[in-house]
Amino acid sequence: MKLGDIIRTANQNLLRNKLRTFLTILAIFVGSFTIILNAAINTGVNSFIDEQTASLGGEDYIMIMSEGSASAMSSMMQSNEPLEYNPDQTITAMDSEQLEKLKEIDGIDAENLYIARQIPVEYITKDKNSKKYNVTVGAMPPGDFQIATTVGRLPNRETEKYEITLQAGYPQVLGFSSDEEAVGETVTLVVLDPITKKPAEYKAKVVGVQSQGVVAVNGAVVSPALEDAMYADLTANYPPEQKEMVYSVQTRFDDQKYSEQEIKDKLNENGFVGLTISDMMGMIRTFFDVIMVVFMIFGGIALLAAAIGIINTLFMSVEERTREIGLDKALGLSSGKIFLIFSIEAISLGFWGSLFGVAMAMVLGYVADNLVHMPGAFLEAFPTFHLVKFTPWNILPIILIVVIIAFVAGTLPAWKAAHKNPIEALRYE
Amino acid sequence: MATMKPVIEVKDLVKVYGKRSTAFTALDHINLTINEGETVAIVGKSGSGKSTLMHLIALLDRPTAGTIKINGLDSTKLKNRELNQMRNKNFGFVFQQFFMNANDSVLENVLLPLKIAGGRRKTRRKLATSALKTVGLEERLKFKANDLSGGQKQRVCIARAIVNHPKIIFADEPTGNLDSATGEKVTDLLFGLNKEKGVTLIIVTHDEDLAKLCDRQIRIADGELVEDGVNKKRRGRPPKASQVKNEVVTKTKRKSTKKTEKSDVDKKEIET
Repeated sequence: MKLGDIIRTANQNLLRNKLRTFLTILAIFVGSFTIILNAAINTGVNSFIDEQTASLGGEDYIMIMSEGSASAMSSMMQSNEPLEYNPDQTITAMDSEQLEKLKEIDGIDAENLYIARQIPVEYITKDKNSKKYNVTVGAMPPGDFQIATTVGRLPNRETEKYEITLQAGYPQVLGFSSDEEAVGETVTLVVLDPITKKPAEYKAKVVGVQSQGVVAVNGAVVSPALEDAMYADLTANYPPEQKEMVYSVQTRFDDQKYSEQEIKDKLNENGFVGLTISDMMGMIRTFFDVIMVVFMIFGGIALLAAAIGIINTLFMSVEERTREIGLDKALGLSSGKIFLIFSIEAISLGFWGSLFGVAMAMVLGYVADNLVHMPGAFLEAFPTFHLVKFTPWNILPIILIVVIIAFVAGTLPAWKAAHKNPIEALRYE
Repeated sequence: MATMKPVIEVKDLVKVYGKRSTAFTALDHINLTINEGETVAIVGKSGSGKSTLMHLIALLDRPTAGTIKINGLDSTKLKNRELNQMRNKNFGFVFQQFFMNANDSVLENVLLPLKIAGGRRKTRRKLATSALKTVGLEERLKFKANDLSGGQKQRVCIARAIVNHPKIIFADEPTGNLDSATGEKVTDLLFGLNKEKGVTLIIVTHDEDLAKLCDRQIRIADGELVEDGVNKKRRGRPPKASQVKNEVVTKTKRKSTKKTEKSDVDKKEIET
């Protein structure tokens, strides 16, 4: 028998008892639907987290502080009460000697070392007569850091012009009718010299508006030219030794050569503490991962029940078709091909069940995603956060796994059919 | 039609079911040769071993000991795959209970052996249609098998048995489920095939009348071959359809008293 005939025969057999086939597929559908929807949510959440991670600087991003600063920060973050003074746990700046030492450490990208500065901007406003708003600003560290924008782009790193990409919500309060409206317009940033209290004004061109995120980005992103200008004005009257005070630096590490733990250990040996993306994002990921695992287990249990359904259905089918199997064997059909016919029936059940599961998950997933982004719904503020995300990479492996489970479930009845004695099968009443 | 070329040679055939204490010898050292174009009836009571013998020479089962040569080829040395192919290419089967796939069309049922063989779809259709023409049911090829009468069903089964142009047709009580009139038609067809195409016909039956239409009667009792009688009258003279009919009718009349006694036995046998 040719493969085409075998597949056709298997599918004809399935159509013979439509209700039973439908119910078996329904069971597989429930399991596949749960797992696929879950995987799509997982992909959706993870791609959102990845987007947020990229806004911090990607997998090889590392933030480095002196040991004292790090332990002081972590103690402060973990404690709700004021902490007693401890000379080893104060925020201490790195001096130029330490900075040079840091640059020497293997695996640390010394060229792209970015010194995170704090620019205390007094306020941001559209023009002199408009309302004033608090804002924090910073330039993007070098490298392929990504922050999603709803309109426009991020400031150009190379430009001499003053450019700014506003945070979500700012265009509206500043008096623009929409995000699109703000792009191309000018806003005013005012910085006060901390010593003389003399204001300095900067006019920056709005080049884009950021999407809403869950991880706080530094604030408005400005071009390095603007940041440098503001920093120069702020520190103009500082004593020289304070001008270059460094509390933390951001850079990349060689993540091909060293693991996160290895680079952290190396930093520790030299009196530094490094924080990677996993340290910052780890908690959120773990939270979602646990939820996903729980739902995957539910889906798995449903699939297990469905697999037993397949076994049951095919066993009934083998019993019903005993004489037919006997006849096929008498007429020269090999055991292997009978096994194949029943296996293909099982695979078909799995395939259709999982395909309907995917279809239903896609429909419901997209409908739900649209609902939660409707005005007033809870994800309205996060246009880039999609509840579900379907890609071939989360759909196809699941269909494949369901098909494999179905095949494995089918082997028992298929084996029984293949090993029927034709004479006894023909005598079967 | 019968030539002296042997198609089936059975030597010291033994079939034992079960093991040790529960062992049961179904066939005990059977020897026989069937020539090409012969019509052979295997007769015997229920449980005599006649069906077992048919199953063995039809290669549906393997013997415990002894050899079966088909066209000079020792079947006991063949692999399962080769046995499957032998049955598929050279044998045709007709069963008492028809064994049709009730929901498939007549055509689908007839071309099943070709489908198993894996031929081209067009060729299958053509061969199946011509086989149905032979049995006079070419107008019914689109019918569902279930919608046919018993006699038509058995004719479809004969079409299925001849669709692969077999050398040997095994018929297991082909008329057992039919009334005498439709049974005659089926008998006519089978003997017609033997006459016209030289197909070797092996019929397992306990219907003595049917058995007498064959060239030879092989009688099995308690697993042993007790009689291998050549029907002198029939030898070399296959009956025409009308003759067969007459013969059956006359014999039925002649044996009418005996027949009623026997039919009770028959019923029992069918039930068991």
